[in-house]
Amino acid sequence: MLKTLIRRELLNNFMTFRFAAVLLITLLLVVANTVVLIQDYEQRLESYNDAVRTHYQELRAAKTYSTMAILVDRAPNPLSIFNVGLDKRLGNLVGIYHGFMPTLWNAEMHGTDNPFIAFFSSIDIVFVFEVILSLMGLIFAYDAIAGERERGTLRLVLAQPVRRVHILVAKYISAMACLLVPLILSLLFALLLLTRSIPLSTADFLRIAGIVFTSFAYLSLFYLIGLLISVATRRTGTALMLAMFVWGFLILVYPNLIRATVNPGGDIQARTKIVENRIQQILDEYERERQKFLEKEGIAGEASEFSKALGLHSYAFVHPVTLMSYVENISLISEIHPEFEKYVPSGKRYYDFVEPLAMRTVEKTWHIRKQALDEIYVRQAATDRVLLKLSPVGVYDSATQAWAGTDLEGVRDFFHAARRYRKAVIDYLYAKEAFSSREWFIADKAAVDWSTLPQFTFERSNVGTNAKRALPDLFLLLISNLVLFMAIVLIFIKSEV
Amino acid sequence: MIWHITKRELYDNLNSLRFALATVLLLALMLTNAIIHLREHPARTQAYHDVTAESVKKLEARSNSLYRLAAEGPGDLHKTPSLLRFCAEGDEAFLPTHAGGSNFFPGIANVRPIWRMIYPQETPHLFNIRPDFTTLDWAFIVGYVLSFIGILFTFDSISGELERGTLRLTLANPIPRHIVLVGKFLGAFISVNIPFAVAVLMNLLLISTSDAVQLNAEAWGRLGILYGIVVLYACLFIALGLLISAAVRESGVSLVVLLLIWVSFVIFIPNTLASIGSRTSVPIAYMEFWTQRMQLADEARETYRDKYGDSQTPPPVHILGEYVTTEAEEYERFNEAYLKQQVEQGKRARAITRISPTAIVQRLFESFAGTGFERHLQFIENVQRYAREYREFVVDTDRADPESLHVIGIQEGMSQKPVSPEAIPKFKDTLSLSRDFNAAVMDLFLLVLFLVVLLAGAFLAFVRIEV
Repeated sequence: MLKTLIRRELLNNFMTFRFAAVLLITLLLVVANTVVLIQDYEQRLESYNDAVRTHYQELRAAKTYSTMAILVDRAPNPLSIFNVGLDKRLGNLVGIYHGFMPTLWNAEMHGTDNPFIAFFSSIDIVFVFEVILSLMGLIFAYDAIAGERERGTLRLVLAQPVRRVHILVAKYISAMACLLVPLILSLLFALLLLTRSIPLSTADFLRIAGIVFTSFAYLSLFYLIGLLISVATRRTGTALMLAMFVWGFLILVYPNLIRATVNPGGDIQARTKIVENRIQQILDEYERERQKFLEKEGIAGEASEFSKALGLHSYAFVHPVTLMSYVENISLISEIHPEFEKYVPSGKRYYDFVEPLAMRTVEKTWHIRKQALDEIYVRQAATDRVLLKLSPVGVYDSATQAWAGTDLEGVRDFFHAARRYRKAVIDYLYAKEAFSSREWFIADKAAVDWSTLPQFTFERSNVGTNAKRALPDLFLLLISNLVLFMAIVLIFIKSEV
Repeated sequence: MIWHITKRELYDNLNSLRFALATVLLLALMLTNAIIHLREHPARTQAYHDVTAESVKKLEARSNSLYRLAAEGPGDLHKTPSLLRFCAEGDEAFLPTHAGGSNFFPGIANVRPIWRMIYPQETPHLFNIRPDFTTLDWAFIVGYVLSFIGILFTFDSISGELERGTLRLTLANPIPRHIVLVGKFLGAFISVNIPFAVAVLMNLLLISTSDAVQLNAEAWGRLGILYGIVVLYACLFIALGLLISAAVRESGVSLVVLLLIWVSFVIFIPNTLASIGSRTSVPIAYMEFWTQRMQLADEARETYRDKYGDSQTPPPVHILGEYVTTEAEEYERFNEAYLKQQVEQGKRARAITRISPTAIVQRLFESFAGTGFERHLQFIENVQRYAREYREFVVDTDRADPESLHVIGIQEGMSQKPVSPEAIPKFKDTLSLSRDFNAAVMDLFLLVLFLVVLLAGAFLAFVRIEV
């Protein structure tokens, strides 16, 4: 019996104008946007490769350790074509230096985007689905029950020995089968275009599978919302209006309404100020110890001459917004004047003392700063995301971002890697006894050999991690599906025909 | 007779669920919009006043010597925040908020370079980790929500009556068809406008009665123009709804068609086409630009060194003067050329989206609200004009000093006398309504053209319909 019902529904759904129209428009939008996105990705990749090359050359150009400029770049994520998330927006270039801690708040952009077109270009495949799939689900569902009720066919069907649940199941299965066609077909086209120009790994395909499954759950959720409306109302006109306004609210309005929840700015400024002062105290202490050392060494009196001999450039500051503490000591000379040669031993002792001190200072400030950044920026963004999840769009968006690795966690992974790399560089410097070496500040005997410096590598997190980050949202989608379906069954069983 | 039909339509609409829902939705949106503006605007203005005051203080600190003014430049110039930012945020979040004139550049031995205008690339958006959805301005409420409501009010206004058979009844009376159509149009227009007008009034009531924001006469004038644009835009979607409703005989189909058109016009065309359009004029890569700029500076330095580097005595003051001024000029010219390339790309991206009325309305809103791209171009123009003024001021003041050698940019070569702080020209970031209007004429014309075409289409479709 169920089979007969499903066949009837399938025929009803496939032979409609709306099916053809939806299929056409989904294909058109997905294909057009994929082409644009692929070009955009290739451009970003090119700019990344350029940046890596330039930064490598810049590093090689440094003759002394103290003037080293290690810059690491974040490669664009190929899955940003599915959901661009924060991949394009956040900084993708950060410096590695023992005197400061790299975080995403200090990152910059290689190949700065044109700010005049930044307003556009945020349409990815998931966004197309967000808008179109939800609309599709509602359009297919609003008259499923209400329409039959109006036409009187529901009464006819129920006169047969059919269980009411079966009618719902049949409707659900056939509509989903029908709705999956545009989803799968457009994804296939997108993949076809994608694999032609961007090499994807097996892991990437698994991630894409995750995105497809999440899209399926999202589509089904909207179909069920439509079905709920259809079961609860007696006229198609009312059902349609309700469905459209629910769509408008969930997709257009609600995500933008959360803007109203922003914490007032003054609060943030006050908090930042407190932390800034605490960090400044630590930096002051560093400066005092540095001065004490200079005095002990007996070069403080003639500090100006010592500094001039070394071209010493030393400063420590904290950034008032990002709270970055930066401690720098560099020698702006690469060859020393013979009459200043007497300062070289002091210079060696100076750097051997001051650089580890700078490192310790920065690590001390990092504990404070990390907490402050979490409180000031991350927590607010997390609250926003939780609020956003009251709309299925928010859940879908965050789940697909997690699969693609373009969510906040995915981007922060890069900065974790950058901090690990900083540690590796420091270990390397210790192993080479670089701080107490002549090459730290003078390059006349031998320039620094950069070839043995450990290379920076960053692998995107593995599929398991992606899945772990995406699963809570995916479960949320699936549970909402289940709850809605149960609600629909209950209402339908109790309703009069 | 028109009035009868309009009245009937109105009664139908005012009692419907969609009218109630539309009112609630628009009210909620407009109130939130006002609340956000009231909360954010004072902070924004305060921040602007703080930075400008600091900028001016720094500038006046330099007034103890004309040379310092000539060498260190006017400092940072900030963009005035718009009073009407709640109408259109535009791409404010992505655009730089200031331009800078300063001189922290490496010079050659004993020669300090002078200031030049810099247009920063980085945007305040760079470490924004909050989710993407953040626009709740009038442009969004009108562009997205009002148009959506417009089609929901009209998709069944002809096809629905056709299905129910009431159209036949109406047309059985001696009424010309176009009168029926005009009546329906007016009915839908009024019923869409009632909730919107109420919502706008509430919004403006909140904003204008608050102490935090003061709207001046010009702002009210601009708001009036914006309301006119809203009316045009609402008419446009109502005409579209009537056209499709008359052309398609089933309400269900009519709605699907309208929704698909709406989705393409409102959401996809403005963004996708802009991405495609921006590829027709791509500026050189930033890295490359940076390297070229460095090369240029290096070359200038090299030529200078080749000529005067070896000699122990410094070259005559006017040679040095020429070096520093040409270096700054070249640098600035190069920067401006790059800026021009970027602006061109921005213009291309915007030009192509004109086939969507929503994109046109977005542009118009930005123009008249004084935000976004066009506004930024005005800001750049203001900055450039001010830079000229400032340089002329330095030259003129220097000329008035008989002891000076009139070599700008070199300490020994020019007047070192203090300048009255009041006499230094101050940067004013002005907006001119007439200029905004001129920039918007084309868009307004296109919008009207769209409306006329759609109305004519609706008329033809309705006249030819078989009942």
